[in-house]
Amino acid sequence: MHEASHQFAIRKVAAPRPANARLGLVTLGEGMQIPAAEELAEFVAAVASRRDREAFAALFRHFGPRLKTFFMRGGMSPGLAEDLVQETMLSVWRKASYFDPARAGVATWIFTIARNLRIDHLRRQRNPADLPHEPVETLPSLEDVLLDAERDLRVRNALSGLSPEQQTIIRLSYYSEKSQAEIAGELGIPLGTVKSRARLAMNRLRALLEDRP
Amino acid sequence: MTKHHHATDETLMRYAAGTLAAGPAIVVAAHLSHCPACRARVSAFQALGGAVLEELEPTVLSPNALADVLSRIDAEDPQPTPPAKVETPVEIDGVRLPDSLRGCDIGRWKWIGPGMHMSRIGIPHDPDANVIMLKVGPGRALPDHGHAGTEFTYLVAGSYTDRFGRFKAGDIAEMDEDVEHQPIVDADEECICLAALEGKMRFNGFIGRMLQPIFGI
Repeated sequence: MHEASHQFAIRKVAAPRPANARLGLVTLGEGMQIPAAEELAEFVAAVASRRDREAFAALFRHFGPRLKTFFMRGGMSPGLAEDLVQETMLSVWRKASYFDPARAGVATWIFTIARNLRIDHLRRQRNPADLPHEPVETLPSLEDVLLDAERDLRVRNALSGLSPEQQTIIRLSYYSEKSQAEIAGELGIPLGTVKSRARLAMNRLRALLEDRP
Repeated sequence: MTKHHHATDETLMRYAAGTLAAGPAIVVAAHLSHCPACRARVSAFQALGGAVLEELEPTVLSPNALADVLSRIDAEDPQPTPPAKVETPVEIDGVRLPDSLRGCDIGRWKWIGPGMHMSRIGIPHDPDANVIMLKVGPGRALPDHGHAGTEFTYLVAGSYTDRFGRFKAGDIAEMDEDVEHQPIVDADEECICLAALEGKMRFNGFIGRMLQPIFGI
């Protein structure tokens, strides 16, 4: 399963485009533009070293509204989604000193925090007596893999290189526990189509998984 | 060197996304603690999660959302470093079990047939999960079975062989619903495996039909 990816491996990583081009020219309420990946990492560093509230607010304005969409796509009400946005951003404040830009981009780091909080929430829903806890740590050690902001960018490019249909299938697997059969029902397409789209998307994404040392 | 058996990318993606059900997630986590290659893939799928998050269109938050979080921060005591938890290893009769079973109820071994024992695993946060451990003697066949959903099996100890190859301690096997297989434990030692089912298991043959009500799954 590790063949057929050299083409991707030797392809040069595209030089980062200007942040605005890469992220789309979305403007926030205050007319402020989206920060670049490096800038986001600096914000987290400022929160960690100086408890910088301006930097925290910038992170909140960038990720808060996206996190809300993320939780709502998983089936949560807007109110509940907003509660989890608050919990996620509180964790960002508390854990900022653990963020290591050599291992992951800020978006990836915040995604894993949100993922864990969503799991904890679903667990408490199923069994209110279950105590919140840190899921078993299975992140790779540094020897295993170097994940950095550049790789995050490559992953993002790989995702946007998929067809819209393939992207939809991949995104849906990140939002909720829905099975492929449920996804098929939701999209109103046959299960076989969901399976083949998922398989094609995975084949194309596999290239991005092959660059471990 | 025989090849190792890994988790599929679909499963690793669902694990990274946090959308794999609790039972299968415990089995996958057990494999990850033994498999740097799959851990690396999980981290790539986490990066994909970061990309998915980054590209979501924003939903407007309530006007005082940021102020609320800031006032919660103000109300917080400076976080004392929590004392390192002393974690006791998870065991059954002296056999070390994967750390991902920590916090689960590990049932006693129950005799379910010649050379065959079963322990039911209770997951506090997912009471409906179908997770069991099987201990099967050297050279014995596991019950011939198919599945109503995907079966995830992690080999805790020993090894078995079925028509897909030889599976050793640390390996993971994923069997789709349409797959029937009959693992036979290798002759040198007993085999302990941890299995989670997304659906119900169905047994074939006489012994299998006898076991069905005993398994209760």
